[in-house]
Amino acid sequence: MTRNSRVFLSIVFWAFVVYLFVPLALMILMGFKDSKFIGFPIQSWTLDWYLGVFEDTDVIGTFFYSLAIAVASTAISVVMGTWLAVLLTGRRFLGRGAVYALMILPALVPGIISAIAFRIYARQLGIEPGMGAIIWAHAVHNVPFVTLVVMARLSTQPKSYAEAARDLGADPLVTFVRVTLPYLKPAIIGASVFCLLLSFDDFVRSFFLGSYQPTLPVLIFSKLRSGMSPEINAISTIALVLTAVLGIWAERSSRRMNKEN
Amino acid sequence: MADPRDPIVRLDGISKRFGKTTALHELHLSIAPGEFVTFLGPSGCGKSTTLRLLGGFEKTDSGRILLEGKDVTALPPNKRNVNMVFQDYAIFPHMTVAQNMAFGLELKGLDRAAIDRRLNEIMSFLELEPFAGRYASQLSGGQRQRVALARALAPDPALLLLDEPLGALDAKLRGQVQIELKAIQRQTHKTFFFVTHDQDEALTMSDRIVVMNAGRVEQDGTPEELYFRPATRFVAEFIGETNLIDGTVRGIDRDRSEVVMDWRGIELRGQAPAGVPAAGQDVTASLRLERLSFHEGRPDTPNAVRGRIVNRTFLGSRMAVDLQVEDVSGARLRAFTDHDTTSRVGDAPVWIGWDSASLAVLTS
Amino acid sequence: MIDHAAQAKTGSDVAAADDPQGRPTFWGRVTGNRAYRALVAVLFASPRRQFLILAAFPLVWVVTQHLGPMLQMLNVSLLESYPLSAGEEASLTFEHYRKFTADGGLFLKPFFRTLTFGVVLTFATLLITYPVAYFLARHVKRENQLSLLLLLLIPFWTGEIVRTYAIMILLGNNGAVNLALQWLGLVERPIPFMYTGFSVSVGLIYLTALYMLLPLYSALEKLPRSYSEAAADLGAGTWTRFRRITLPLTLEGIGSGCTLVFLISIGYYGTPVLLGGPNTTVFAETIAGFFHTAGDEWPTGAAFAVIMFFTALAMAGIFTRLIAMLRKGDSR
Repeated sequence: MTRNSRVFLSIVFWAFVVYLFVPLALMILMGFKDSKFIGFPIQSWTLDWYLGVFEDTDVIGTFFYSLAIAVASTAISVVMGTWLAVLLTGRRFLGRGAVYALMILPALVPGIISAIAFRIYARQLGIEPGMGAIIWAHAVHNVPFVTLVVMARLSTQPKSYAEAARDLGADPLVTFVRVTLPYLKPAIIGASVFCLLLSFDDFVRSFFLGSYQPTLPVLIFSKLRSGMSPEINAISTIALVLTAVLGIWAERSSRRMNKEN
Repeated sequence: MADPRDPIVRLDGISKRFGKTTALHELHLSIAPGEFVTFLGPSGCGKSTTLRLLGGFEKTDSGRILLEGKDVTALPPNKRNVNMVFQDYAIFPHMTVAQNMAFGLELKGLDRAAIDRRLNEIMSFLELEPFAGRYASQLSGGQRQRVALARALAPDPALLLLDEPLGALDAKLRGQVQIELKAIQRQTHKTFFFVTHDQDEALTMSDRIVVMNAGRVEQDGTPEELYFRPATRFVAEFIGETNLIDGTVRGIDRDRSEVVMDWRGIELRGQAPAGVPAAGQDVTASLRLERLSFHEGRPDTPNAVRGRIVNRTFLGSRMAVDLQVEDVSGARLRAFTDHDTTSRVGDAPVWIGWDSASLAVLTS
Repeated sequence: MIDHAAQAKTGSDVAAADDPQGRPTFWGRVTGNRAYRALVAVLFASPRRQFLILAAFPLVWVVTQHLGPMLQMLNVSLLESYPLSAGEEASLTFEHYRKFTADGGLFLKPFFRTLTFGVVLTFATLLITYPVAYFLARHVKRENQLSLLLLLLIPFWTGEIVRTYAIMILLGNNGAVNLALQWLGLVERPIPFMYTGFSVSVGLIYLTALYMLLPLYSALEKLPRSYSEAAADLGAGTWTRFRRITLPLTLEGIGSGCTLVFLISIGYYGTPVLLGGPNTTVFAETIAGFFHTAGDEWPTGAAFAVIMFFTALAMAGIFTRLIAMLRKGDSR
């Protein structure tokens, strides 16, 4: 590689990093501005917006509402996603390609279509908009991500592990719980965190399936529609920090576990 | 308890097909308690299929498998009193060595004290105590092999299956482990069913070798029988190096139970351990390289030819030489000899002799 | 080597180990439990039964939960009236699909705008992220690659709305870009970036770049460096090596990245609402408009969603085919 192209590539790379981080950095900065008006320059600083958020029971309630939805939908996605991964990685069967296509479908349907399809389906089944409907939509939407991650891990497991367990007297159920599941642990932890983030961050499905109680992204959206305010910056920053910490933790721990095996 | 002389395993005409290929064709076999049986053959010969059928990992298409007199043909692996040492050892990566070994014992319903007793026993026997708390990733290849063996031995199976367990080890370690494995087998009085494509491994350890080819048994016998008295061309060629001599049967010497054959005009006397051919029949005979001896005058062995050394290969501890039989074009023999003999003989003609037992007339 | 004193016992003690005296361990108790044994006997009676037990629930799940919503959407799009009043027979019609071309192209405009946005933005994202992925896979030491990748991942863990808001702050009339431009003296008055196609584009690329970057990175990372080195050895220059070796061999990654980004970017709703203006209405907003009402316009919205879904699918399919043809052409 010539020196020129190398320099060019590194400039593009770091410019891209700047493009990714600068908007978020500006948004974080603006949350400390001592004025209701969003924009530069920032003349004086304050923590009032953050203090305000912590006193706002609506925001706190919304936060825990979103969290509860994320946890519940993740539990469903992980169980179903892992189950599908085991089915699809196991012995071949007629129609496996079709099952694979159906499995991946929710991940490929564009967001708005997915949201209104869930909205219609919920109504046809008589499910009222609200927490249950959002949990269900998030759970279905996130299953393919779990399945893909778990399948990738499962395909690296030597066939002999399960055979050895059977050989030593374990029935298929004990084999799964004591040998296969521990082997999948890093993938399942990684997929769980990914699902938590997807659900916590989701806007379009939560927007169309929600009732009067918004999730956090829906709350930020509606506040934005009535005007920008540093209060929104404070809420967004808290959400950003939480998701980043969770994401980094998951990434590091799953990498460590992968190394151990 | 069954009669100790009853076979521990009986295979009653088991067959197995994978799609269009026949992996195993009506195999009949009995294994006595305490035997070290090796299934030897090239890849795809059916040896691994037999092992997997015995372990319960594949279903037979036809035939029965009897283990300790009970029909286990339809039983899954977890209900067979058989344990296996896997080719890649399959030591569970999330469990310690001790937990791996306890796995089978827990599922047998043993209590903690009994499990600990058995673990201590097996670990001291195989000298694994220092590794009890380690994970597979912290063990060397040889240690893993021993852990896999210990885990399979721990539940006290009637039959131990070993699927090329030395394949992952380097050549030097392999020789040492072969001796060790044989010693372990003798001391535990366990029946070992060993599968390999490595003839050296088979010859070193086995009480009995079954040579497989294309889903069928080629020959079944002791290592010595297989080596010196191969039944078929396949066995003769697969195990060790040999001279294959194509000729015609002149007649049978009933008094000395020898086959008299013609090899390009030379009369040779051999034995036919696997079946006596008819006069006039074209046959192939196998003659091991180290059975040929060199003489200055004509030796009084039943077989003697005169030839010259035309090619020498230095092998370290010995020499391999190619000999051209005098006055018979195309008649060549290969022999092992020592360095001194080769240099003493030089290019001069020399007598080569061998007894009739060394020349095994093959059935096919 | 083996300790001979220890081995001698092994043979005789084996039998003693066989009869359990005390309480079995946890797994021994589970598998020894009568109810559990009965359950296992029923579940795993035969490989066939075992497979059915494994497959039944996931099959029902994917059909009812993954496919079901799409089928219901199709169903509702064909209903003459919605919601059905009690006892009313459902009658089917294509009427709602006809509205797509009605009203003087009122709906066609956002439809084609969305598709154009999708294609152009996908291509732009590819151009931006390919060098980034290339740099990461080829010019960064292997042990640093994962850390840098993690760095790039962090912004993507943040939600759509938060990131959209960040772009609003960046591009606003009092935003950082305008401030910088004014400070540099390049412009006198702020440029109105917001509520234009430009702001929507910047936002959508910001949201989707990762979905392009990851497949490209994994394609480049898998590609042995020796290919390029061999080409260089044969006299190929930088550009020739890229065009003849690297690019053809990463077509698969390009294909999956583009398909993913296209399908995702046309589906955004919140971002175009926040960043766009009256002249940038996308089809997602059009569709959403039918669902703000109690229900009588739902079939039209559903019909439009169906049209959009199949158009997007067809475009992704044609694109994938194209990539496949290109790859074949190169293997000649």
